[in-house]
Amino acid sequence: MKNLKYILFSGLLLSSVACDKKLDIEPLQSVSENLALDTDANVKLVLQGAYDNISRDGVFGGNMFRDAELAGADGEVRWVGTFGDPRDIFNHTMDAGNFDADNTWGDAYATINSANNVLSAISVVNADDQDRVKGEALFLRAVCHYELVRIFGKPFEAGGANSQLGVPVILTPTRGVTDASYVSRNTVAEVYAAVREDLHEALNLLPEDNDVFANKYAAAALLARVHLTKGENAEALEHAEIVINSGVYSLVSDYEDLWNQDDNTEETIFGMQVSNQDGANELVTFFSIPEFGGRDGDIEIEQKHLDLYDPSDARLALFYDGNGATRTGKWRDQYKNIPVIRLAEMYLIAAECQARLSQNADDYYNAVHTRAGLAAKTNVTLNDILLERRLELAFEGHRIHDVKRLKGSVDGLNYDDDKLVFPIPSRETEANPNLQQNDGY
Amino acid sequence: MKHLFTLTMLCLMMTMSAFAQRAVTGKVTDAAGEALIGASVAVKNTRIGTITDINGAFSVQVADNNAVLTVSYTGYESQEVAVGANTSVTVVLTENQNVINEVVVIGYGKQIRSTLTGNIAKLTNENVKGMPVVSLEQAMQGQAAGVSVESVNGKVGAAARVRVRGVGSINAGTEPLFVVDGIPLSKDARNTYGAAMNPLADLNFNDIESIEVLKDASAKAIYGSRGSNGVVLITTKSGKSGKGQIELDMQYGFSKPTRKREFLNAAEFVELFTEAANNSDDLEGVAYDDPNSWTEFVNGRFRRYSGFNDDWMTGVDKTNWQDEAFQDASIYNAQLSMSGGNEKMRYYISANAGFNDGILVANHLSKDGARMNLDFDATDKLKVGVNFAVSRTDTRTVSDDNAFSTPMQLVALAPITPKRDEDGLLYDRPVTTYYNGLIDVEDATRKVLSSRTLANVYGDYSFTDNLGLRVEAAANLYNVRDEARFGERTDVGNDSKGYGQSVFAGATDYNTNAVLHWNKTFDSHDLGFDLGTEYFKSNNNRTSVEGEQFPTDELKTLASAALIIAGTSSEDNYSFLSYFGRARYNFDRKYLFNASARVDGSSRFGENKRYAFFPAFSAGWVASEEDFLTDNSTLSFLKVRASWGQSGNADIGNFRALGLYAPGSYNGGSNYTPEQIANPDLTWEKSTELDFGIDWGLFNNRISGEIDYYIKNTNDLLQEVPIPATTGFRTQWRNIGELENKGWEFTVNSNNLVGEFKWTTSFNIALNKNKVVALADGQDIIDDGGSRYLNVVKVGSPIGVFYGAEYAGVDPDNGDALWYVHEEGGDPNATTNDYSEANFVELGSPLPDLIGGIGNTFSWKGLTLDVRFQGVSGNQIHRAGDIFMSCNACWFDNQTRDQLDRWQNPGDVTDVPEARLGYSNGDIGRSSRYLSDGSFLRLKNVTLAYDLPANLLRGVRSIRLYATATNLLTFTKYDGWDPEVTTDFLANNTTYGIDFYSAPQPKTIIGGIRVGF
Repeated sequence: MKNLKYILFSGLLLSSVACDKKLDIEPLQSVSENLALDTDANVKLVLQGAYDNISRDGVFGGNMFRDAELAGADGEVRWVGTFGDPRDIFNHTMDAGNFDADNTWGDAYATINSANNVLSAISVVNADDQDRVKGEALFLRAVCHYELVRIFGKPFEAGGANSQLGVPVILTPTRGVTDASYVSRNTVAEVYAAVREDLHEALNLLPEDNDVFANKYAAAALLARVHLTKGENAEALEHAEIVINSGVYSLVSDYEDLWNQDDNTEETIFGMQVSNQDGANELVTFFSIPEFGGRDGDIEIEQKHLDLYDPSDARLALFYDGNGATRTGKWRDQYKNIPVIRLAEMYLIAAECQARLSQNADDYYNAVHTRAGLAAKTNVTLNDILLERRLELAFEGHRIHDVKRLKGSVDGLNYDDDKLVFPIPSRETEANPNLQQNDGY
Repeated sequence: MKHLFTLTMLCLMMTMSAFAQRAVTGKVTDAAGEALIGASVAVKNTRIGTITDINGAFSVQVADNNAVLTVSYTGYESQEVAVGANTSVTVVLTENQNVINEVVVIGYGKQIRSTLTGNIAKLTNENVKGMPVVSLEQAMQGQAAGVSVESVNGKVGAAARVRVRGVGSINAGTEPLFVVDGIPLSKDARNTYGAAMNPLADLNFNDIESIEVLKDASAKAIYGSRGSNGVVLITTKSGKSGKGQIELDMQYGFSKPTRKREFLNAAEFVELFTEAANNSDDLEGVAYDDPNSWTEFVNGRFRRYSGFNDDWMTGVDKTNWQDEAFQDASIYNAQLSMSGGNEKMRYYISANAGFNDGILVANHLSKDGARMNLDFDATDKLKVGVNFAVSRTDTRTVSDDNAFSTPMQLVALAPITPKRDEDGLLYDRPVTTYYNGLIDVEDATRKVLSSRTLANVYGDYSFTDNLGLRVEAAANLYNVRDEARFGERTDVGNDSKGYGQSVFAGATDYNTNAVLHWNKTFDSHDLGFDLGTEYFKSNNNRTSVEGEQFPTDELKTLASAALIIAGTSSEDNYSFLSYFGRARYNFDRKYLFNASARVDGSSRFGENKRYAFFPAFSAGWVASEEDFLTDNSTLSFLKVRASWGQSGNADIGNFRALGLYAPGSYNGGSNYTPEQIANPDLTWEKSTELDFGIDWGLFNNRISGEIDYYIKNTNDLLQEVPIPATTGFRTQWRNIGELENKGWEFTVNSNNLVGEFKWTTSFNIALNKNKVVALADGQDIIDDGGSRYLNVVKVGSPIGVFYGAEYAGVDPDNGDALWYVHEEGGDPNATTNDYSEANFVELGSPLPDLIGGIGNTFSWKGLTLDVRFQGVSGNQIHRAGDIFMSCNACWFDNQTRDQLDRWQNPGDVTDVPEARLGYSNGDIGRSSRYLSDGSFLRLKNVTLAYDLPANLLRGVRSIRLYATATNLLTFTKYDGWDPEVTTDFLANNTTYGIDFYSAPQPKTIIGGIRVGF
């Protein structure tokens, strides 16, 4: 059949038009996941991305710290802004749809996923850098789990079983949505165990100096914090002293110079880098006023807080009046860094632990106290130290956590009240039925 | 292709053989005496036949004087001529008026309508030629059953939304695939500034020979993954052999808005707002003359709006701001075309130039282009051709409807405000209530320049009479340049000493295909196969630069910007690779069968689902060919047909299946963060469609029509589904959910009167019911939760259904706005004046139940009158902008005059609540207060034409004088400007029927002359 020849010829022609390879098109504005983790340089970029994640507003970009202050306001600060979600945090009337709770949850787990991706590709990293890269990723994963369990779980009870629900501990990167993606909540004890393990490993791996990124002392400082939260005073003291005695950090002599800085100060152990190009400082958005790049002056400082200071306290002088109310000067200017962990906190942790261990805490206490322009004290008490801590670290995101740790109360709510625990975001419980909601929501 | 078809026809005509004895010569012409080249001349009951040559001449051998010649030519009525003793005959063929035997373009081929088993609507050049509209879609409006065309706005060059058989997707594209001479054209708008523009605006629809809309699955499945929303095949003109013909067409006219709304004049403005302030004072128990009263506040505002004087007290109107929003718009278009050829070569060449002013101030579009279509018979077996067109538009756009600077938002300004101050400078805030958009007219330019090159080459080789191969390669180069420059006084440029942006967006699309086609007719069997492959690749890129700090407003380019503030570029690619086949068979043109299949692969989909298979089957039975009907004098044609098939929707954006990292920056360094989670199973949205149709003809097909019923189910809808954020991601693209469209279509074409006075009617109507069948598991509504707009996606309801509080009018006792509570199980008539207590209910659909059109053409001697109506029915429109302009003086926007019906005294029965300045009394967007019936019937087009009689023509072939009016009359109950509307800044798949300061459609009248040489 003559036609057959033509058909064969045409078939050849037809198939030459097409080639399956032509369907493999890579995007040019994004990079596909298999490329992102295939070289030393790329894995390091993903590690940088984990810092980018944690600098977002839901985590260390500021809203998480803001919310800790609003939840622990107790008449010392006041939310006057129009946004309903922070107002509900302030009023203890949150519901599970709260946007800020969802935002913190999502940003923290995005950071954890970035860190897990780095850890999964650690073998690709140059041998010389593997320890550092791995240590940083572990640090970032630990700090997120720690923040999440403090916010979404009932407080850690020193000496207790801590079988109350914490948050899911995620230790593997997500490459696809499978049954394993529908995780359940780990207990508070399990979360702290994971945090401890990550941080101890990070402490061993990280170098002493690592530019603005997590170093050995950031891991030690965070461990001091974690042990303090758990009431493990000796370990907290030990790790705080690792930082204090390193000689790497020193207190900024003028308290005012700690704030509104473009660069980390000599006191900053770990801080978020913010500029007009990248990073976020939402603390300024809400604590500051339009004149300095704030929103509407949404958070006002109340007299009750100001009354806590000695009139000659340099920290009192940092407050300023603007838009009809008192404002904190810590978060005044736009595009400035957020110190997350600083040396003064280590002194205060060390002092507190010394006092709890019945040691003399005068030195560590006075280092912070005299820096504020106040006269040194002798035989300081635990209450002196706790007040000092409250004043020194005000509006830096510690308040509600200190209330819980010290078993205090806020706005008439006991430290372990359901309302002081954030709801698991409803978006999350709807997407994942395995997540049990907290009591009270 | 055409020859192939003619050959097939010829085969059909010829039957068993007879002896040739003597020659008959002759000529075949059309009614005007022009030679018809390639007409087939067959001797009846023999196998003898020939084709006319370049002069329309033929010579054929006949047996004896009883011989009868059957002369046929595509598009003309066949004729039988008894030879008798003649040795020479002249045959004049008349154009075929009946639709049943017309040739329709199908995907990758052509077919006679009577043998079709699918549903294809066809429009010809006559349907669109000379229409004084910008875009092809607008020219098609109302002329094809089940094809909805909606201009989103009356801005010139605005996007036009085309929906074939309803809205077919929630997140992916809903536009049909537009294919021009074999190359798919994207309908994605590429301009940056102003409202989205129609990228097809540059096509010169006067060059179009035919437009076929493939509607059912059997017709469109050959387009596989891109066919789900229908396919619009556009074929441009090709030359015909014979004497060259030149046609020159020029038209000129003007446009006005179809309708204006009535706003308060100065006296009414002062009266209403004073009353509103008094009422607010009464409410608060404040004396009117209290310095802190609303009344004093209003007086201060009146003073301010007057230009800080007391002119407002005089009641004199200072400015009619609505009039300022519009301009005297004129339209000019010129077309020149030449076509002709010899037996080896045919050409069609055209050039066009013209402009359309928009009815909005400073809105203007000019367009020009040229086309050259050439076809060569290289050898007896090989035909090659090239289609080449360049086109360009140059548009001065206006802002989208949401911007203070858009001309329509001028209506918000107070009638007591003068336009200019003593120095002649346009007033701005604080004298004008809001930014004065006229400053944009003087001090801003937003230019969008598009240019397109469309090129297509083909070769068609016939191996044998039955077997051929057609290979096509086409390219579409489309570039859009945006030049925006905002002067120092504009709202964009005023804090930066002027602002400018220059954006270049380019798209380069390539398409190649090869189709092997085989046909054979033996006895009564007619069999055909097509086998083909196609590859499409698209590259899209964009570069932009922004600058500030210009020394003066006169310097327009970024060369003079002291500060370049941003610059970026991006690029995207996607591709399709396809294999397809089709088989058709008919027995005696009575029993018709058709099967087609396409396998598509695309870069857009996941590795595991990269290829998909789209089959279709259809069958038809031409009952009128059966013995029991052949002699029926009334019913001349009857065909029943059924089709089933699947097609896909791949218009979902690129790379959604991939796991991606996005670049970012922290601490001044770059980084990657996980951006999108992979879904290797991500695939096409699939439509499965069933269609039943009846084609009928009465009285020798003088009246003919089609009836179709279809059910189209779209499943595997692409949705962004929430996933646990503990994964590090919040959503994943998945194929989930289902959508249904079902409906009826009716078309009737009728030659009511034939003879000297001719009257033809074409009518189409389509009913479509759209329903969201399923969303993601456990999800029954997609609602952005906003308070201004009503559209939601809700299971069991049409896509975009209006959902909000039902307005219950005004409490006659106190003037409060009321809403129905609609408590489940509660009193259905219970009302509340507290909006937050009102439960949301469905308030109506923005999608019409029924769309249609009717055209009548009357001709007598040289006079032709064409009258065409178009309409939609059953939809609601949300006047979303009325929360500002019809809010019983809630704030200082000038109010529509109907707000004077406000409640004033106890006992007043009205729909307009009491005016209370600064208080919300019924001004809630998310309620039925601002819904109107959107049904309309519109006199879409009227053309009166006069062809000068031949005896008056000197040296020209023809002269036609004509006048055309579009949108001359609109019958509607709609309370806003114009019922053909969806505000441009919200026009997406789920938002329909929103009027937000949207420009009305233009009403256009033109006069023209068409001269043929």
